[in-house]
Amino acid sequence: MRIITILPVRRLVPWISVIVIGAVGLSACGGNTDSENADSPTVVVSTAVLGSIVREVVGDAATVEVLMPNGVDPHGWEASAKDIEALSTADFVVINGLHLEPSLDEAVDEARSNGVIVFDASDHVNVIVNASETDDDHSDGDPHIWTDASAMADVALALGEALDAAGIGTGDRASVTYERLLTLDNELQKLVDVLDDSRRRLVTGHESLAYLARRYGFDLVGTVVPGLSSASEVSAGELAALKDVIATEGVDVIFSEVGTPTQVTEAIADETGADVVELDTHLLPPDGSYETFMTELVSAIVSALSS
Amino acid sequence: MSQLIDPFLNNEFMQRALLAGVLVSVSCALVGTYVVLRGLAFIGDALAHGVLPGVAGAMIIGAPVMVGAAVGAVAMIAGVGFITAKSRLSNDSAIGLLFIGLLALGVVLVSSSDRLTGDLDAILFGEFLGVSTNDLVVQAVAAMVVAAVCGLAARPFLVLCFDPDMAQVMGYPARRYHRLMLVLVAGTVVVSFQAVGSLLVFGMLLAPAGTAALVTRRIGSMMLLATLIGIVSTYVGLLASYHLDWAAGASVVLSSITIFFVVLVSKSLISTTSRRSVARDV
Repeated sequence: MRIITILPVRRLVPWISVIVIGAVGLSACGGNTDSENADSPTVVVSTAVLGSIVREVVGDAATVEVLMPNGVDPHGWEASAKDIEALSTADFVVINGLHLEPSLDEAVDEARSNGVIVFDASDHVNVIVNASETDDDHSDGDPHIWTDASAMADVALALGEALDAAGIGTGDRASVTYERLLTLDNELQKLVDVLDDSRRRLVTGHESLAYLARRYGFDLVGTVVPGLSSASEVSAGELAALKDVIATEGVDVIFSEVGTPTQVTEAIADETGADVVELDTHLLPPDGSYETFMTELVSAIVSALSS
Repeated sequence: MSQLIDPFLNNEFMQRALLAGVLVSVSCALVGTYVVLRGLAFIGDALAHGVLPGVAGAMIIGAPVMVGAAVGAVAMIAGVGFITAKSRLSNDSAIGLLFIGLLALGVVLVSSSDRLTGDLDAILFGEFLGVSTNDLVVQAVAAMVVAAVCGLAARPFLVLCFDPDMAQVMGYPARRYHRLMLVLVAGTVVVSFQAVGSLLVFGMLLAPAGTAALVTRRIGSMMLLATLIGIVSTYVGLLASYHLDWAAGASVVLSSITIFFVVLVSKSLISTTSRRSVARDV
């Protein structure tokens, strides 16, 4: 009580009214969005690439909201309060899993315990576990599952079942998507088959292409930043080792991507005479389609390796 | 023996990193000596991290990164002046407010931009092993400018460090030279961070000069010693990064801090024994 008498209430009144009026004004502005689709269920997806597949499966059975901006590096992305709200009020949540979305981990657990259905895409994929990654976030396995179209076909099928079970009817869209992704998978394999076996060696920014390599037959011979996460830092020893690999294996392309340290990559390329080619491993093309995304990704790799 | 030299002979990126370390050591030793003597560590730290929103902003609009960093640094210095002039808050509260404000602004900018995310690490920790020839030229010029300013303003700076009131009496406008000192700190941070990261810049600003201050009280020898310690730290840190697979920038900082503690502990051991033998009270 005494605090009130000490505070110069009179002088604070204008400030308080500014805050109150501001808050009321803001809530008035934001108030309409929630009621807009009150009857349609919402499906919240973490990454843009995953979102593309979820949209195909969901169709117009629900409103799909993607949290991460297209092309963002998931390791560096921080969820905003609005993202967490969207997650906790969703009817159905789709995540990549395997700690690709570290800033959503707690909110996902919370949503799950509040009864929100969480679909973890990596549960439906034959996960690659890298023995050297035992001590960090990615010890459960490599999260970059979306670079294998056949794995995403399985995910689409499982997603359809889970949505149906949750009361969001997807009709035959899941099986249609499944077939389309398998066709895509075939076409991607044909693109890669053009390459000689001796040319199928990849040096990448971080270890993000393991699924693509396993599915379509590439050798991952080195990375600029060893580790699955783009957040690791480079040591001189690792860089010298990479230089040796590039020289001895005769690799002439280094594939960089979002989160790859550009200057270090340029320095190694300069010293080894290799070219740097940037890949969009997290960025959906303007048409928002996963098919175009994978076709462009694989074509970029193939054309860089065959030139 | 070859283990100590070969990593540098066989790898250009190691040579460039070493050279960058030497150049950063020179300007950081000169400026760092004043930072230590005049107690500017906090504003130095704040500048090193406060440039983040400027850098991020420059990357977003496609302006030169160094210009953005300079804008960030100027905003920091001007902001501190504004807060202390318009309120009763102390200097370090003002620095703290702006420091954290600018850092947060930087994180917001980086996280709301589509294509910037991975670069937050690059700004804070630098790409020591990716230093380009261009970076080296910029750093060499900066080191020369810093040395020239330190040489020209040596006397007022000296007085400012040990007796700010005296500076006024002697006819040196204390405020103006204080500003100049801050500009030097900011300039060093701005030209060095891109290559070695703001963490490393701040480490090199403080640790070698701090170590030198333990050993000598004369400004000239402090600067010389700090330069040498900086160069040794760079060399040892890069070797550690090579042989032990440690992150390069952090290894260099770690070795400079280690040198500080080794000197501090041996100095206190020596002074304890000598005090005992002389049996004299302080």
